[in-house]
Amino acid sequence: MTVFSDVVCPFCGCLCDDLEVTVEDGHVKDIKNACGISRSKFLNHEKNRLEAPTIDGVEVPLEKAVDAAADILSTSMRPLVYGLSSTECVAIAKAVELAELAGGVVDNTSSVCHGPTILALQQVGESKTTLGEVKNRADLVIFWGSNPSQAHLRHIIRYSGMAKGRFVPNGRKDRYIVAVDIKETGTTRLADEYVKVEPNKDFELLQALRATVRGQQLSAESVAGVPREKIAELAERMKAAKFGIVFFGLGLTQSEGRHMNIDAAVGLVAELNNHTKFLLTPMRGHYNVGGANTVTTWQTGYPYAVDFSRGYPRYNPGEYTSIDMLARGEADSALIMASDPASTFPAGVAKNLAKIPVVTLDQKVTPTTMLSKVVIPVATAGVEAEGTAYRMDGVPLRLRKLVEPSEGVHSDAEVLEMIMVRMRG
Amino acid sequence: MAKHKVTLVSGRTAQQGVGLEEGKTSDNYVKSVNHVQLCPEDAAKIKLKEGDTVSVETRHGSVVVNWRPSKELGSGMVFFPYGPWANQVYGYETEGTGMPLFKGIEATVAPAKGKVKSIDDLVKSLGGNKK
Repeated sequence: MTVFSDVVCPFCGCLCDDLEVTVEDGHVKDIKNACGISRSKFLNHEKNRLEAPTIDGVEVPLEKAVDAAADILSTSMRPLVYGLSSTECVAIAKAVELAELAGGVVDNTSSVCHGPTILALQQVGESKTTLGEVKNRADLVIFWGSNPSQAHLRHIIRYSGMAKGRFVPNGRKDRYIVAVDIKETGTTRLADEYVKVEPNKDFELLQALRATVRGQQLSAESVAGVPREKIAELAERMKAAKFGIVFFGLGLTQSEGRHMNIDAAVGLVAELNNHTKFLLTPMRGHYNVGGANTVTTWQTGYPYAVDFSRGYPRYNPGEYTSIDMLARGEADSALIMASDPASTFPAGVAKNLAKIPVVTLDQKVTPTTMLSKVVIPVATAGVEAEGTAYRMDGVPLRLRKLVEPSEGVHSDAEVLEMIMVRMRG
Repeated sequence: MAKHKVTLVSGRTAQQGVGLEEGKTSDNYVKSVNHVQLCPEDAAKIKLKEGDTVSVETRHGSVVVNWRPSKELGSGMVFFPYGPWANQVYGYETEGTGMPLFKGIEATVAPAKGKVKSIDDLVKSLGGNKK
């Protein structure tokens, strides 16, 4: 029996790094300090696994599946490489390399999560911090369109709420938590203040807050369903904070306004920095979607939606993003790694994915593997393979290999390299 | 029965996270995403009983799912956990951003007569199930 301490969790963007995992006879037997989702990931990682490489649902040797994948990607006109966010950074770099080799497009899951955040931050900048700073300093924490009580289960405990820090020694008692949401959630109940905003009206509320912080009087009695007195009170509270932070989620990026909502949030935070220190951090979902953006940027200059068809990288979200590529029927093959677009894309575009030859690298059976022509089982990064992942605040942490994968099962990076060797001939 | 107009919001749940780590074909995952949540008052208004199925419809499509009461929701709002069932009613227009709308969508709900499709049937309806 071996007990691994300080293990990093490969589920969400919190990358909690204090797990204690017990391994016995090559299997994960127990886990401590984990949230319910993390516990499920480690203890169930052997369940519902893909049993062997397949072509059209028929089991084949790995070499044959690799050959078929290379043929598909080499002979198609407009291959789409998508996913990348639930694996480690070397695999992400290989996926970018493969897209370049195939003259295709590489995109990651941020195009359907925080892609609008990236669009806005490229326009207006970002005042960043680490979760360690938040833990030690934040006395005002605002969750806007994010619900860590369901999606980032230990965020409030480890970093933003209960945690005792150097300048907030009493933890929760020293912090004021505000939750802005369109509906009640576990986070709004835990917060000191719940601001209920009308659906699709976050932009208006952010701008009203920004105007109020600037000292302007609102003529409207309420904005987005929030009375102006409450807006004024919140603006004063924000200005009076010593260290404030906005953790925003898909409530802002997936509703009307999209990137303009983030633009408004950055504007509010910039305005607040005339009064005090204020920052914002996106609540990233997939554990290494931050790495997908970072690696793609250092390889190509751009964080997602990158086209190599001219032999050099071009960037154009809205054109080279996966939903748009599939909606136009432009992609004529796809390599999917570390994601499940058949479960996460609207059915209208998932249908177009089913029409083209798809090569999928995954650990488990998913709707995407079910509609793929070639399926290759891979090791689970952070459990069966090591590597690096980027936390939601941009801090890289090392994932551990705790157990051996099944015989004949390789990491994402190894399988991608095998496909590229075949593609190069 | 008249269709009841609502605002549809999708999102993550912890149950979905636990389920997907068991596997997308596991009962726990399927149960975590093949339902919508609405407030008890709205459920009573459209005469939904426990065990009934409900039809959710937008201008992009419709789907039959299970339902659960939720006191977190106000009248006129329906929560749909992210997943293959929710994706039946979302459109793919991104307005040049790459991102479709998954939250704040006009929809209707009504009691349904049909059954909830299995994950195999949903993949078949996408045009291919090579499992």
